[in-house]
Amino acid sequence: MMTIKKRVAVIGAGITLFRRRLKETGKELSYHASKMALDSAEMNLSEIESVVMGTAPDAFDGIHMKSENLLDGAGGTGRPYMRPFVGGGTGVFSPIAGWWHVASGLFDTCLVVAEEKMSPVQPHPQTAFRTIWDPFTTRPLHPNLVWIFALEMNRYMTVHNIPKEHIAEVAVKNKGNALDHPSAQLAAKITVEDVMNSETMVWPVQRLDISPPSDGAAALILASEEVAKKYTDSPVWIDGVGWSLDSSYWTNRDLYFPQYVAEAAKMAYKMAKIDDPPKEVSFAEPYDPFTYKELHHMEGLLLAKKGEAPKLTAEGVTQRDGKLPICPSGGLLGVGNPIAAAGLMKCCEAFWQLRNEAGKRQVDGAETGVCQAWGDLMQVGTVTVFRR
Amino acid sequence: MSFDKNTNPLKLHHLVGDMEADYIYTPGVAGDKFFKALRDDEKFLATHCESCNHTYMPPRMYCERCFSKLDKWVEAESTGVVDTYSLAHEDRDGEKLAEPVIVAFIRIDKTDGGIIHQLGGVDHESVKIGMKVKAVLKDKSKRTGGLNDIDHFAPA
Ligand SMILES: [Zn+2]
Repeated sequence: MMTIKKRVAVIGAGITLFRRRLKETGKELSYHASKMALDSAEMNLSEIESVVMGTAPDAFDGIHMKSENLLDGAGGTGRPYMRPFVGGGTGVFSPIAGWWHVASGLFDTCLVVAEEKMSPVQPHPQTAFRTIWDPFTTRPLHPNLVWIFALEMNRYMTVHNIPKEHIAEVAVKNKGNALDHPSAQLAAKITVEDVMNSETMVWPVQRLDISPPSDGAAALILASEEVAKKYTDSPVWIDGVGWSLDSSYWTNRDLYFPQYVAEAAKMAYKMAKIDDPPKEVSFAEPYDPFTYKELHHMEGLLLAKKGEAPKLTAEGVTQRDGKLPICPSGGLLGVGNPIAAAGLMKCCEAFWQLRNEAGKRQVDGAETGVCQAWGDLMQVGTVTVFRR
Repeated sequence: MSFDKNTNPLKLHHLVGDMEADYIYTPGVAGDKFFKALRDDEKFLATHCESCNHTYMPPRMYCERCFSKLDKWVEAESTGVVDTYSLAHEDRDGEKLAEPVIVAFIRIDKTDGGIIHQLGGVDHESVKIGMKVKAVLKDKSKRTGGLNDIDHFAPA
């Protein structure tokens, strides 16, 4: 096991608008988020010792090796710079990579940036996913990402006998929470009936169960304990990190439970010395590109027993003023889903919540927040525990 | 493992596939202004960072050195100096070209940056690093708001 040399703090955060199409290039989006994060920490770029750029498949922006293209917008010029990549899990994995830059003692500061510009790919970002499948065992069926998720959703619903209405509550809550988020693309006051009556895409996935493509960027500033204290009296600590990948063969695992998230969560909780997650976690930001995924991931994060997350949601426990607020930001369903940037948006939310800077979104008495993302070939879990 | 010497993958059991995807690229805030000024007004616009005393060509809306937001636009020249060049005897697919193409990096006057483009009006025997060149734009009716609105650079 490695020795953690330094405790790591978050001292700044920044985010752009999340929109279906933005005029800015990926570099320009990265700049806006990075600059906002630096300004919030009252830092200059010259005080940044290392940079981590998280960005998902090149096929979205349509620029191969896009992290190299994004370098100058992320403040990476002339600095140690790297791109960690675990597909959709990248947004929460990039602060993990930033964490090890600082925890190892190699650097005292690290700027973590995440960018996604999905609007260039035509006719739809789904096109970029056509070639992620094995060319012999899956691709001949012409799969679409939505129907793959629909298989998982149906398995989850059937194993636990979950009514679709309970799952629909997630969209109602998250789009409602996003009404208070200044970056939000999909904030709305909707009802369970609206979700149930929305177009069926691939049953049981309906239009309002899913978060559409977006452009955007987000950034965090990490610093070692000694350096953090020079900049702020209220650092937010990264006390636990974890990640895990399951088999990429769907046919060799049970889809009703995200074991990869559970493994990642156990790693992060152990590091953060959390023994009883539902009691010790004040709020969580699980990855919610689909309604059922928030519930699936709450269970993976061991915040609810298997099959109980829908019930907790229907009872209002996961509302912002409930006992265990889930996605107080509005999540991907409400704020939007520029893949890697959406994951890092969740970490920005944890920072603002734990600093009492979340405004109308503020959760009372927030002490510990957990963020999680998911992706790769739908089998990676990335988890970070933040504390005030 | 089969390490048979086989240079023709079609001899193996196979599927033919592709990774097709189409894109609509937009040039961004700084790029939009640069390409429109070139197309409509035949002007080379640059951005200037006062703290670094650095003029960006092509222009950017931020300084990558100090991260200042750049909103000071300056008009550069359409002239410059050949910083380096190469002679392409083959195209990108390896096909022999009838005449070598001169590809050059031109440092644009009054800026700290430059543009990579082709040289024309000079033969490959007499092209030299350090020679002064000038942008030759396409006819206005043929411009699209892209890099090839510059037809080539020619000796000034
Ligand atoms: Zn500057």
